[in-house]
Amino acid sequence: MSVLKINGQSYTIDADENMPLLWAIRDIVGLTGTKYGCGVAQCGACVVHLDGEAVRSCVTKVSRAQGKQITTIEGLSKNNDHPVQQAWQEIDVPQCGYCHSGQIMSAAVLLRENPNPSDQDIDNAMAGNICRCGTYPRIRNAIKIAAEIQRKATKS
Amino acid sequence: MKNKEINKNVILKKITVSLTVVLLMGALTAFSYNTKLTSANNYIRVPDATQKKKDSVASVKAFAKVYSVLMSPRCMNCHPKGDVPLQGEDSHLHTMQPKRGKDGKGLYAMKCANCHQPENSPGLHAPPGNPNWHLPPSDMKMVFEGRTAHQLAKQLIDPKQNGHKDMKKLIEHADDGLVLAGWKPAEGYALPPISHAEFKKAWITWLENGAYAPKP
Amino acid sequence: MPSITNTSKRNFLKIAGLGGTALYLGLFSSNSSASVINASEIEGDPQSVELNAWVIIDTSGKVTFVDHRAEMGQGSYHSVPQILAEELEVGLNDINVVFGQGNRKYGNQITGGSSTIRSNYKNFLKLTASAREMLIAAAAAKWAVPHQDCYAELGHVIHRPTGKRAHYGELVVAASKMEVPKDVKLKKRADYKLIGKPIRRIDTKLKTNGSVIFGLDKKLPGMMYAAVERNPRLRGKVKSFDATNALKVPGVTKVFKIKMLVFKTYREGVAVIANSTYAAFQGKKALKVEWDDSGFEHINTADIFKRQEENVKTKEGLSYKKQGDPDKAIATAARKLDVVYQTPYQSHYAMEPLNCTAHYQGDKIEVWGPIQAPDWVQDALSGEFGMPREKILVNMTFLGGGFGRKAFMDYPHEAAVISKELNGPVQVVWSREDDATQGPYRPGITYRCEGAINNGKIEALKFRMSGQNNGHWMGGKKDEANDSTSEGFLAPYFDNIKNISFADVPFEIPIPSMWWRSVYASTNGFAFESFLDELSVEAGKDPLALRREYLDERCHKLIDKLEEVSGWKKRKKNEGYGVAITECFSSTVGHIVKVSRRDGGGVKIDKVWAVMDCGWYVNPDIIRAQVEGSIVMGLGAAAFHEVTFKDGMTEQKNFYSYPMPRINDIPPIEVYVMDNAEDAGGVGEPGLPPLAPALTNAIFDLTGKRIRTLPFSLEAV
Repeated sequence: MSVLKINGQSYTIDADENMPLLWAIRDIVGLTGTKYGCGVAQCGACVVHLDGEAVRSCVTKVSRAQGKQITTIEGLSKNNDHPVQQAWQEIDVPQCGYCHSGQIMSAAVLLRENPNPSDQDIDNAMAGNICRCGTYPRIRNAIKIAAEIQRKATKS
Repeated sequence: MKNKEINKNVILKKITVSLTVVLLMGALTAFSYNTKLTSANNYIRVPDATQKKKDSVASVKAFAKVYSVLMSPRCMNCHPKGDVPLQGEDSHLHTMQPKRGKDGKGLYAMKCANCHQPENSPGLHAPPGNPNWHLPPSDMKMVFEGRTAHQLAKQLIDPKQNGHKDMKKLIEHADDGLVLAGWKPAEGYALPPISHAEFKKAWITWLENGAYAPKP
Repeated sequence: MPSITNTSKRNFLKIAGLGGTALYLGLFSSNSSASVINASEIEGDPQSVELNAWVIIDTSGKVTFVDHRAEMGQGSYHSVPQILAEELEVGLNDINVVFGQGNRKYGNQITGGSSTIRSNYKNFLKLTASAREMLIAAAAAKWAVPHQDCYAELGHVIHRPTGKRAHYGELVVAASKMEVPKDVKLKKRADYKLIGKPIRRIDTKLKTNGSVIFGLDKKLPGMMYAAVERNPRLRGKVKSFDATNALKVPGVTKVFKIKMLVFKTYREGVAVIANSTYAAFQGKKALKVEWDDSGFEHINTADIFKRQEENVKTKEGLSYKKQGDPDKAIATAARKLDVVYQTPYQSHYAMEPLNCTAHYQGDKIEVWGPIQAPDWVQDALSGEFGMPREKILVNMTFLGGGFGRKAFMDYPHEAAVISKELNGPVQVVWSREDDATQGPYRPGITYRCEGAINNGKIEALKFRMSGQNNGHWMGGKKDEANDSTSEGFLAPYFDNIKNISFADVPFEIPIPSMWWRSVYASTNGFAFESFLDELSVEAGKDPLALRREYLDERCHKLIDKLEEVSGWKKRKKNEGYGVAITECFSSTVGHIVKVSRRDGGGVKIDKVWAVMDCGWYVNPDIIRAQVEGSIVMGLGAAAFHEVTFKDGMTEQKNFYSYPMPRINDIPPIEVYVMDNAEDAGGVGEPGLPPLAPALTNAIFDLTGKRIRTLPFSLEAV
């Protein structure tokens, strides 16, 4: 039995400790916002936060996640209003939307650590997330908008 | 049709220190223990605790083996000249271009440990792992890529460039977890050219015999 | 692509009141006997009603749009409601969208050929405007006031003089009994409140918090997971398998051999059933399978292109189009060109790998999945299982990308086969490797282009292509040229160049091939537009000026825009500019790419400008997004990846060997949408084909190096 703390809630699951966190979250806990894209940490569709870091859940074993705080896209904000989510909505970043749970989770880490990211910072943070629909130009713009939203929120 | 993976390393691999010992002999200069290391000198050795008799020929010979390991992809890939690690047997720039970051552990959503697990992930092309997976930090880059044997030998014993390691720490470093990880490659990756035991022996032989650098 | 039938020819628009419960707007099949259907037929799920209602307004005033097409990122889930809300006079957010199941009553459901809007928008406008007038008529009758004193706004009818209001819900019953207006007046474009505006997509919020349901997110009670080891030679059989180790994997419950459809043939594999995706994948890895590849050609990529090249160099092939006498003109021309271009096999790599959930229940089969053609799946399963169509329930989820691959029947069929064997619900998950190695692929093609120039004018063009014909997998005639042989080529060239011929030299191999975003235009466009660039050099003319000589006024406007936004005429030294303009699915798109030399060798792309002329359009921001995405996908196919075969097997298995453009590879992109009074064209695909030739033309402009084979490496130029 393993205990996973996801989005502030504890789940006791009966799973092989070697099972990637991705499948535990999706198939056992039943939170499907985190996506499978490649299984080998190439595409970033499966990014969740593990103690705040943007880990690739497709290669992160359940054993590593035990005792740590896991945040999935469902838990990033209560009302779909994290600055990154707001910015994504403001300029309609997603097309098919499949990769965007991962994109948003990666961008959230960038903004936490760098409230005013340059284009280079955005590349440095986001090149691990593939989007086959090609929404990259909008991801770039949205991260800048999110930074602005975050700045305003901190000021007020 | 695909040449993204440019074989930058081929030339370097071929130089694996075919040194002419006879020529070297004439040029060797010994330094006293506390001599300040200067980069102007071709041959340097560090103070050592063992006080063993110095054998510059054996030292340089041992370094050839050390160099062959350090320049193998398992070691060099995380000692790049730029801020992006290298990847694969041909040491191409790491796909998705993760950056070193100040502490060598990556940046933002692209920290090493976000993909590289405490252990190798199973399967071909899955990320290799280690609990301490990282690059040298930005203030101590310890570049291997592109270094000649001469340059690398000098760099390795310069505390300003080797992470402030003295002789004792250098010797201990042979058993460092990340160094050992080179001999536990993930599926599909080649081992360094010699065993860890041989490497360790050569490393210590090189250091204890005065850490002489091969001729440039 | 198959021809997209204009359903209004076979069916007719109708609005029906169904026993006082709702107003149904849609296309009624011409054999349906009555316009008003008996109340007993509509109890329960409105979709069980035998009419293809697209829009339902019920007595609570709720408007439901039954989306009979797939949403895979292209935005029809939003764009269609944006059309409907306009003439119906309701708020966009008041329209509830549900996906229609596979059903012939909707006409053609295949989401392909960039056709959802262009083939349906006129019907949508007419229907909703008619319904609005009927609602107004009902209110006018209720209040005993003149019709012209009433108007509709945000789901209400309002009596102008008194301000009296009635909600649509109160009016639907009465409205359904009103006469359907014969000739309803549609709004002028200038009066649109919603159409033509960059309104935010109604599905975005679902896609920012993980709540959108893709195929893989579908869960059923008691559902098992399955992974399948399929013959790596695409259409081979299973000789034998050993499941001993697979069955030892905790969670694995069953292992059995299966057979799935590959177009009209079959492929075999071994299915591993487990209680989680992970266990199924682990079980699959532990399988030992011996394959039977007899009869399958163990082909290598180099041989494919060699054979194709030989074809175009030695054979005339099947004629597709011919005017004048290009052979004669070329033989006597002062200057001529004769070159070969090659474009590689490509895979779709939608971010959501293939998957399908199926529940076989003896007398019926229900499937859920990321499906581009639910009606085709219905046909295929009906045929394979010997069940009537109505017993095959096909549900579309949102698609995590499709690009043509998800219009194929293998994965739903396979899921149904496994569910039948299990006698329970199952989700079949394709690993990325499965998705990447099983095809079908965009076929690799070799083009031979010949041209003649006299006095700086193009005298003749002769094109020959040799590559797999996707149509052959779907029963197309083998003695006819590929019907997409000239796809991508701008129609005005036919009017203004005397001697032109297009021919297809047949090329067959057993690797399944299929549409890939923009289909043959994506490969033809590279050959045609690179060749025009070569001819402009040969003729000593500016590439845009040369094109102007043969294009019509509509194209000239697009060229004007391209020149204006890109600074084409003000280009500086050490800047390479390239242009390409192609047409497919009734839209014309031009790209200009600017390149410069990269520090450390090679070239870098500094900027891409794109101009889209799709005529009448709904949402310019969705169009811009589609063109941006097309440029990224086109760049990937030009300079990042290809599928190659060794010994009959696909070599690239995942993103590590089929690298994608990433955010750091993407130059600034500017997209412009032309405003004109033309009919609507497609949006999802036409933005892709010009990228590769515009890029290689720019590289030629900068370096003098002509790239005729894709993909190439930007770093190695």
